[in-house]
Amino acid sequence: MTQKQKALSKEEEILLQDFSRNVSTKSNALFYGNAFIVSAIPIWLFWRIHFMDLLTSSPLFLIITCLSTYLVSFAYKKTKFVLKHKVAVKREDAISREISKMIAEDKKMNKKEKDERVLWKKNEVSDYEATTFSIFYNNALFLAVVIGLSFFLLKSFSPSFNYILSVGLSSGLIALLSTGTK
Amino acid sequence: MDNWLKICIVVVFAVATTGNEEATPAKLLFSKQILNKYLVEGMDIVIKYSLFNVGGTAALDVQVADNTFGPQDFEVVGGQLKVTIDRIPPGSNATHVVVIRPSKYGYFNFTAAEVSYLPSEYAAEALVGLSSEPGQGAIVPFKEYDRKFSPHLLDWLSFAVMSMPSLVLPYALWYSSKTKYEAIMTQKKDK
Repeated sequence: MTQKQKALSKEEEILLQDFSRNVSTKSNALFYGNAFIVSAIPIWLFWRIHFMDLLTSSPLFLIITCLSTYLVSFAYKKTKFVLKHKVAVKREDAISREISKMIAEDKKMNKKEKDERVLWKKNEVSDYEATTFSIFYNNALFLAVVIGLSFFLLKSFSPSFNYILSVGLSSGLIALLSTGTK
Repeated sequence: MDNWLKICIVVVFAVATTGNEEATPAKLLFSKQILNKYLVEGMDIVIKYSLFNVGGTAALDVQVADNTFGPQDFEVVGGQLKVTIDRIPPGSNATHVVVIRPSKYGYFNFTAAEVSYLPSEYAAEALVGLSSEPGQGAIVPFKEYDRKFSPHLLDWLSFAVMSMPSLVLPYALWYSSKTKYEAIMTQKKDK
């Protein structure tokens, strides 16, 4: 007896997407793009204030920026996943009301379709808010820790070591904090 | 008796005044001081030369020369390294200030300057002396000094401007969505 693979319903697909840790290609591009930009920003500080030479330090800048990009985008993804469910719970009622208002005049739509639409919208809104807040939160934390480390804790170190440790530790720290479940 | 007393008084007075005419020749104490707290490449260093005449006669034709700052390492910004002072009265002092700018960084040994002067009006030969030596000083590179002391206001402002899009944009997007749905909830509660 051949087993036919059961086609997933739209609702099940949305649920899978909702509980999945995987991000879409678009989100991935957004995360890596933002992570690269925020990882590159400290180079300005080290070039202008710590007087690191751009040309001679460029290999170091490149390596540490790439490492930081990976860790920061990792933090984005993890934070987004944790936030998404919290946002979904908060916005459920408001989204239901919004959808009800939108489809009030459409009498052809049945309850199942309405629920599907609510679920889809809830996923979309929670994804959007979790993504934007995750990017903001991790960027702010990353930049604050870089400044704190490079200008206070590590200021007596040579500029190269200062850069490696401050950017490396900051991105490592936010990646570590993002793995928390709360 | 009165004549004898007068003669004694005259002799005593003559001896006393003769003693005063044999004044000690001029003797100059010469010090060289670096007035800076920090010695920085490309920034001014102030050198103060002080001469004090501890002798009983004026020092004449006082020539101060500092040949320790070579033109390849230092640039004279203010004052002169060779100066002539006509006269330094006994018990008085004279000062001279020179501002120099080092063109290189590194350790530099600040050695003595020279002074020559006539110890008296009838002196045949000038006396030569050396000043005190400030000793070795470290002239730090300008980058190090700037890194430590400059406020870098413009650089921090530029950093803030560059960071704003990464912070303000995501926050604004999140906030607009948040307020929209909170407003919906508020409307529901009002009804």
